[in-house]
Amino acid sequence: MLMSDEAKTIARGLQRRDPDLLDRLIEQYQYRLFRYLLYVTGNKERAEDFFQETWIRVLERGHQYDGKSKFEAWLFAIARHLVIDWQRSKKPQSLDTLTDPGQDHPLQLANEKEPSPLHQVLSQESEENVQASLQKIPAIYREVLVLRFQEELQIDEMAGVLSVPLSTVKSRLYRGLEALRSQLQRGAAS
Amino acid sequence: MSANIHDRALQLIAQARVEGIPEADSTWLRAHLEECDSCAGHARHTDRALRLLRTVAIPLPDGLASRTQFRVRLRAMELREREPKRRALWFACALSWAFGIASAPYVWRLFAWFGERTGVPRFVWELGFGLWWTIPALFGAAVLLIESLRKSEQADWLNQGS
Repeated sequence: MLMSDEAKTIARGLQRRDPDLLDRLIEQYQYRLFRYLLYVTGNKERAEDFFQETWIRVLERGHQYDGKSKFEAWLFAIARHLVIDWQRSKKPQSLDTLTDPGQDHPLQLANEKEPSPLHQVLSQESEENVQASLQKIPAIYREVLVLRFQEELQIDEMAGVLSVPLSTVKSRLYRGLEALRSQLQRGAAS
Repeated sequence: MSANIHDRALQLIAQARVEGIPEADSTWLRAHLEECDSCAGHARHTDRALRLLRTVAIPLPDGLASRTQFRVRLRAMELREREPKRRALWFACALSWAFGIASAPYVWRLFAWFGERTGVPRFVWELGFGLWWTIPALFGAAVLLIESLRKSEQADWLNQGS
């Protein structure tokens, strides 16, 4: 089935709040959505909460999805808005924020010696060097790296998810890529 | 080799991976990487970083999908139960408008007659007529507002739970 056909089928199902379709979508996108939320929140329990809340929003606002764009881009945009709303209600210094670290608060680690929640999750199955590097990169860059290189979204789709101009997406990608590369290189050297 | 050439190479290495580069730049970059160990090393490290990023595996929490499906189905039931009430509200609004339009000339005359009989200034009974029209709409808006406030309170569970 073509992507646009599939998107339109999903849009029609969401209009009807088709429970079977929602069950299928939850199954199909569980890994990708959870991974995205884990990277942007840096916390497993929080990612689980947002995962559930995202699907509730999909149910409630499904009629807003028109099937003209990829479903996953719309899904990530919903998840992202939930995380941002939650972040706004918290003290900024306690967060690994999705705002530009150059202008706002950078990633704060509670204790550099203790593994972060993100590290604890990733360490179960991943190469140590990547985990250490990823947790040192600000969430705003982790997010674009995940969307571009794991989710393989196009830059214009990412601009839609993040609600920012293309130039901002590109600059975050360049900075994120450089941050990841240099962190990994530093990790390999030490 | 000037620093500018290396800067251009590093920029193209990143650009190629993020958004792609034209064939001419790609050819130039390949030739440069064959000659320059430092830039070739940079390209290797970048590729390794992306390879590692793509292969990071994340274990899914047990039962996450089924717990979510359960919650979503519960919420869907709630929404379905609320649907008839909403339909009734729209029906009441439509009926009220139809009745209001049909009866407007009579009500206007009634207000005018009442104004004459009681000596109330014209603008007062006209205001009364206006209110007779707007109060049902205000009532409907209040119901919808209360409904949306209730919804936003329900969404606050995230803030309270963390």
